[in-house]
Amino acid sequence: MSGSNRLAGLKARPKGTTVEEVRRVDEVGEARGFLDRTPRKKPGRKPSPRTHQLHPKVFPEVGVAIAEEAEKLGITQGQLIEQMWEMYRKAY
Amino acid sequence: MPVIVMASPKGGVGKSTCAVLLASEFARIGADVTVLDCDPNKSLTRWASHGLPGGVTLKSEIGRSEIVPTIRSADGDGKIVIVDLEGVASQLVSRAISQADLVIVPMQPTALDAEIGSEALALVREEEEALGRLIRHAVVLTKTSAAVKSRVQKELEGQLSGAGIDVIEPSLVARAAFSELFAYGGDLTAMMNDPEMVTGGKVDKALANAQAFTEAVYERLK
Repeated sequence: MSGSNRLAGLKARPKGTTVEEVRRVDEVGEARGFLDRTPRKKPGRKPSPRTHQLHPKVFPEVGVAIAEEAEKLGITQGQLIEQMWEMYRKAY
Repeated sequence: MPVIVMASPKGGVGKSTCAVLLASEFARIGADVTVLDCDPNKSLTRWASHGLPGGVTLKSEIGRSEIVPTIRSADGDGKIVIVDLEGVASQLVSRAISQADLVIVPMQPTALDAEIGSEALALVREEEEALGRLIRHAVVLTKTSAAVKSRVQKELEGQLSGAGIDVIEPSLVARAAFSELFAYGGDLTAMMNDPEMVTGGKVDKALANAQAFTEAVYERLK
C-alpha cells in the first residue's frame, strides 16, 4: 500500500454522541456484563494531618468558652488553638 | 476519517500489537494517526516512550467518561483514530465500540480466545440494534503459525465464516519482531533499517505481514 491519495478514499460514518445514545450503549453493555469498572476512590474522609494531641486542663468556664468560640467560627477546637498560637507567636 | 477500535474482553490476544502495526503502517503512507491508549497496562504508552513513528500522535489514560469526547475531537481533526482498549468487559469498551467505523476483534486460534472474543462480537451486534446503524466488525487471528495452519485454526475460521463473521486475511503470524516493537519503539521499517536492532526474527516477513494486514483493513474502511 502506498500513496497518500488513497487515504482520501477512507470513509467515516456519522455516529451518535447524545446522552440518550450513550445511555442506550451503556444499557446494552451492562446486560452483557460490560460494566463500569472505573477504579473507585477509597470511601470516607481523608485522615487529618493533625496527629498531635494536647491534654491541657483548664477551668470549666474557659473550656466552655473555647468550645463555644470554635463552634461560632465553624472550626475545631484544635484549629482555634492553632490560630491562638499564631497570634501569640506574632505578638512575642 | 475512520475510527478503528481494537476490542476483546480477553487480555493478551494482540490488541496492542494490531494497534501499533496499523498506526505505523497508515502513518507510513501519509495518514495522520491518533492512537488512544485506553489500556491500564499502557502497552502503547510504553511503545511510544521509545519513540513514535512520524505522523502518529498518542493520547493516554483515557477513561470511561472521556472516551466518547476524545474520539470525537480526534476524529474531527481529520485523522485516523485507532483505539486500543483494555482486555476486560467494561463500559469503556462498549462506549468505544459505539464510536467505531471498524471494530477489530483479535483472537488467537484457541477455543478460549474464540469463546471470550465472541462476547465482543455479540456486543457489537447488540449495539447495532440499539443504535439502529451498522458497526462494521471483523476478526483477525493472531499469533498464528508461519509454517502451517493448525487444525484448530482451520476449524475456527470455518466456524467464524459459517456464522457470517468477517475474518481478516492474512492473520497476524507469531513474529519476534512484533513483540520487539514494544522494546524498541518506532515501526518495522525503522527496525529493518537499523542494524543495531536485533530481533532474532525475520523483520522483512513481519513487515510484509503487517502491510498485507493493513491493506485488508484499508479495504474494509472504503
